[in-house]
Amino acid sequence: MNNRLRELRDKQAWSQGDLAEHLDVSRQTVNAIETGKYDPSLPLAFRIARLFRQPIESIFTPDKE
Amino acid sequence: MSRISAKSYQRRTMIAMTIYVALLLLVWPLARGADNSWLKLACALAPVVPVLYVIALMARKVLQSDELEQRTHLIGLGVATAVVSVFSLIGGFLAAAKVLPPDAAPVILLWVFPVLVVAYSGVRGWVARRYGGDSCGDENSPLALRLLLPAALIGAVAIYAEFVKHDDYLAGIATGMAAGLVVVTLFFAWRRWAGARRARG
Repeated sequence: MNNRLRELRDKQAWSQGDLAEHLDVSRQTVNAIETGKYDPSLPLAFRIARLFRQPIESIFTPDKE
Repeated sequence: MSRISAKSYQRRTMIAMTIYVALLLLVWPLARGADNSWLKLACALAPVVPVLYVIALMARKVLQSDELEQRTHLIGLGVATAVVSVFSLIGGFLAAAKVLPPDAAPVILLWVFPVLVVAYSGVRGWVARRYGGDSCGDENSPLALRLLLPAALIGAVAIYAEFVKHDDYLAGIATGMAAGLVVVTLFFAWRRWAGARRARG
């Protein structure tokens, strides 16, 4: 799955640690999501969407098959 | 309940495990010679106390983890359980068939927890690195430093055993353990130094 998390975080001028604090997860988890090594659960994806005030499908997009 | 920091977790675990080693080497052997049955029981079970504390600490850490951390904990525990089960099964069969000496069975049981913890830590660290992190968290202190304290304390036990208790057997075990930890510490320190050098170009 692809995501725009890094782009959205950069727009807010937040560090990975700042974003992790907002989402109540570890910095490693933010890093793993941004680098595409880990796909978040649905509740966490919704928390991310709510934080950036964007629909979930505009942040997370499936890989092209 | 507040989220326990990686540094605090490491510090508490290290202190508890150091106490465990000290109790195992200095108090547990007194159980065989104790006349009073309560004293015998207390000496025999003394090392269990810090282990229970570490298990409680681990449970608290896992419960406070986020979803990715819980995943790495679960994989670590799953693999560690498989490793311990296989070794226990092999040891059990060998002891039952009297291939191993008759007093091997209790020794095999004593090794279950240490092997579980080592396998769990190793696998969890490996899985966490695959996700781009490290095994314990952002504020993790270098592994070499984390190993140095137990090495120093076990070394102190060796000196105590040699010069105060005049127990060659205990001194030998403690010296071997401390030396092994120093070798591992040096290896990780060298690996860290080489990595930093490569990163500088």
